[in-house]
Amino acid sequence: MKEFAIGLGVELRIVHALILRETRTRFGRNQLGYLWAFAEPLIWIGTFAGMFYFLGRLTPAGMDSIGFLATGIVTFSIFRTCVDRSMTAIDGNKALLFYPQVRPLDLIAARATLELVTLATVLAIVLCINSVFLGRFEIDNLLLMMGGVLFAGLLGSALGLVAASGAVFSPLVERSTGPLMRPLFWISGLFFCSDDIPASAREIMLYNPIFHVIEMVRDGWYLSYTARYINILYPAGWLLGLAFIGLPLERAARRRLELT
Amino acid sequence: MGANHVLNNVSCTIEAGQNVGILGRNGAGKSTLLRIIAGVESPDEGRVIRKSRVSWPIGFAGAFNGSLSGEENCRFVARVYGESIDRVVEFAYDFSELGDYFFAPTRTYSSGMKARLAFGLSMAIDFDVYLVDEVTAVGDKPFQEKCKAAFKARRERSSVIMVSHQMTTIRDYCSMFAVLEQGHIRFYETIEKAVASTTSAERVGAA
Repeated sequence: MKEFAIGLGVELRIVHALILRETRTRFGRNQLGYLWAFAEPLIWIGTFAGMFYFLGRLTPAGMDSIGFLATGIVTFSIFRTCVDRSMTAIDGNKALLFYPQVRPLDLIAARATLELVTLATVLAIVLCINSVFLGRFEIDNLLLMMGGVLFAGLLGSALGLVAASGAVFSPLVERSTGPLMRPLFWISGLFFCSDDIPASAREIMLYNPIFHVIEMVRDGWYLSYTARYINILYPAGWLLGLAFIGLPLERAARRRLELT
Repeated sequence: MGANHVLNNVSCTIEAGQNVGILGRNGAGKSTLLRIIAGVESPDEGRVIRKSRVSWPIGFAGAFNGSLSGEENCRFVARVYGESIDRVVEFAYDFSELGDYFFAPTRTYSSGMKARLAFGLSMAIDFDVYLVDEVTAVGDKPFQEKCKAAFKARRERSSVIMVSHQMTTIRDYCSMFAVLEQGHIRFYETIEKAVASTTSAERVGAA
């Protein structure tokens, strides 16, 4: 037990050091660079809010367009950037693997934590500002909402772990995530709710764990919306499955990594 | 990948306080052995049991993130090892004698400068055992003397396991000598015996 506590302390120290190191290269040297992290999701939200407005598309009853889009787009962004950044974590930090305490899993944990915290902050700020000017301040179930955000990050980093470790064996693995992300963007419920689609389609679309995760966030935020068709255990099962593949794969990849 | 056994079915103990110089031909696996001792790579079979604080393999290769400055790299390492950041940075700055380059990205460094930084940084942290890969043969005479003096000053507390082509450095630092060859390691009391034992003695000393 004591050894475990010491080990945990070392692990936290290393992930902390890696996060600080990542902020340097991710956001540049000056502190304004951090603002850039906000720009990308804001541009997406702005674009789609504009399209909704000009095309006269209505959001589901009881949901304002910015809040509806932010809960969808930012949650999806958490998933996507966690995959992207985790996937390249090993390549970008190979030199640091010379320190015996630093292992590939730590590199991934550090990057995913940084992305998750940054984008969760973006989501909170967007929703708060929006509730002052256009929407309402809701929060129906904070725990459910946070759970959805956390799942998005964990699923992303777990998939990133599989991809990063798999990429050590075959470059094909890394290339396959791009084509996977594009359809996911359209079918994960960023632009619709599970209530609004025909039952036959819903049945199929609920195989996608990201759809569940986004619905969790919306259910948690909106007082008037209850995601009746989702199951929290479903994305949890995916997470377990991905971890089950990714963790041994990372162990195997350690041997194959060539340090120069 | 053809199997190249660095060590095969060997069990050995290196006592605390023993300064060991490892000799071997290019490609014998000296650097790999050092990484396995450090825990950077794990052996395919068997275990490495460390009972003291062992450094990372200090050498020309890797260990610094190119986009970060020397200072930032030092801060990172201080955090990883749980040391006082200011003390480590100050020590490494003074010891490495890099001047303003200390604050430039390490990708702009020559390999000699990297080695200076690595050496200065490792000296800032109190390891029981330093794993040194070729690196002491770095820089000009005064810098080499400085490295030697720094090691001498902590001989009471720390020891070194060293890989080098240069017989003179190994002789200066070590009191025990090992030859790594064809999956076996043998220990000798004097460097002469170690060299004489190798099948290609002349090549070991070269380079």
